[in-house]
Amino acid sequence: MAKKMLAVLLLFCFAPSSFAAVGCDLNDPDRDVARLFPASTNYKTRYLSIKTGGGPELLTRVEKRLGDSFHGLYENIDVPYTLYDIYRGTQTIGYIHGVNQKGEYGGIQVFLALDPAGGIKAFYVQKLTSRAAKNLRSREFGSQFTGLALKDFEGYDPAAAKAAPGSPPAAIKAPVKAGKDFNSVMRAVKKNLILMDEFVFSKKEK
Amino acid sequence: MNVYSIAYKNLLRKKVRTTLTAGGIMLSAWVLATLLGFNRGYQQGLNRDIDNMGFQVLLTAKGCPYEAATLMLKGGTGLRYMPEDVVKTVYANAEVDKITPMLMQGVFDPDKGENGAVAAYLGVDAETFPGMKTYLEFKQGGWFSRNDSYEVVMGFEAAELEQREAGDKLLIPGMDEELTVVGVLKRSGTQDDGTIFLPINTVQKLFKKKGQLTGLGIRVKKDIDMAAFENKLYELPDVQVVSMAQVKTTIMNLVNSARVIVLGIAGIAIIIAMAGVVNTILMSVMERYAEIGIIKSMGAMPLDIFRMIWMETAILCGLGGAAGIGLAFVTARLAEAAVRYFLPYAPNGALIALDARISGFAFALIVVGGLLSGIYPAWRAARVRPLDAIRSEGE
Repeated sequence: MAKKMLAVLLLFCFAPSSFAAVGCDLNDPDRDVARLFPASTNYKTRYLSIKTGGGPELLTRVEKRLGDSFHGLYENIDVPYTLYDIYRGTQTIGYIHGVNQKGEYGGIQVFLALDPAGGIKAFYVQKLTSRAAKNLRSREFGSQFTGLALKDFEGYDPAAAKAAPGSPPAAIKAPVKAGKDFNSVMRAVKKNLILMDEFVFSKKEK
Repeated sequence: MNVYSIAYKNLLRKKVRTTLTAGGIMLSAWVLATLLGFNRGYQQGLNRDIDNMGFQVLLTAKGCPYEAATLMLKGGTGLRYMPEDVVKTVYANAEVDKITPMLMQGVFDPDKGENGAVAAYLGVDAETFPGMKTYLEFKQGGWFSRNDSYEVVMGFEAAELEQREAGDKLLIPGMDEELTVVGVLKRSGTQDDGTIFLPINTVQKLFKKKGQLTGLGIRVKKDIDMAAFENKLYELPDVQVVSMAQVKTTIMNLVNSARVIVLGIAGIAIIIAMAGVVNTILMSVMERYAEIGIIKSMGAMPLDIFRMIWMETAILCGLGGAAGIGLAFVTARLAEAAVRYFLPYAPNGALIALDARISGFAFALIVVGGLLSGIYPAWRAARVRPLDAIRSEGE
């Protein structure tokens, strides 16, 4: 025990200053959790990453399921993901999870409120710079995602920005002037659902 | 057997008491070394932060000394401006080495969070600003090509938040103009990390502030009379002079007040620890009263007894002091996190700068204090009369 404590203290002493990659947190979790889950009584915050959750193998699996590779300076194995477990009393009634996505004119932060089975209860774009920002953040646009789950997005190809004909994502209407930002939002939703499956739902099944 | 090993073995006879006393000394040494390290680290950090600003004097429009703070507090409005002509006027002074004009602007972005937030942009001169901030390095790309180009350079954190890379587009909320990111800076640990830089003429054009500035960074020549130069600047109409030296002095005065109180507390901790040393050694002398008498009757001189007891104090203080300084190194990061939590302003970089000099000084102070505390018990032991001591044992 004493050796472990000494090791932890030495870690603090000698570890070089490290700067983590930018994560995606709710700006005001108390308010946002109550808004997205009105029946909730409390929540717990967890910090996860592909690096700690499974490393390069998990990254390869996520990229394969996404149908697109992680690219750019900021989409990498180190990115910390914040997961909010939502409770009513002691019962888990859902999850909130957000991802950063590169948009045409700036970063986009897409949060999904999921039920315990992984179905989308609410869609929330916390931050977005776009010519169609107002429409992409509108309730009408967000409501198109309600009830969808990962299986519905399996046929969506983010690299080509195409949904399988007849699949639910194909029915989602892009707002006027949204352009590439609509595709970015769709990719963020699929990535978010895959990460939630890897971090939470597939582990629950096991 | 020499006096050192006798002293060492005497300490081992009462392990718990020795450990507790050494623990008290260790805590005193830890507090002392951490505070001395903080004193140096804070000053170094402050100097670094001010040097990293790239200029020694900041000229702003009167009533607007802290432009970024004003901008955030007033939701992107409330900035005061000064005419661009001031650049020529100030540059005419012989004391000025370099000068760089700046124009900060902010826009309310309703699409940041639930209630929106202010996005700030700093217009800088592509010719003079990089020369002032020589410590800035690029992760990608470089500075703007012209002062009127629609180009952007982003600080590391600003780029990370906006997920921008060189070649990407940036849209200023509420404006229809597209800008191209031409450079992303490496992390510098300064406020520049969160800044979005635009060419100054572009900011003037986009925000309709032609011929206006919010700040003027001035680097002065070496060995000038700073106070006289500042007075000269005060003669300019409607401007305010913010001297970085003044800012530094003000912050250091505030920190020094707190430091005196904390050093006082450290002093009290050392005095308590030393009182513990006196108590422990004196108790040990009293317990060994007869034993000391026997040693003296066997031929030991008072100086030998004095040295033996004094050596016990030295070992106790040496071990406690070394452990305390080691603890200060190990917990420096934790202490730093605590200081950052409690202080309203803490400079970037390491706040607790421990080195061999500080460690040596703290160690010497503890050992000297300990040796002074050990004089009285050692003197009492040296004065023990053999016959009295042996008689008291019999009684």
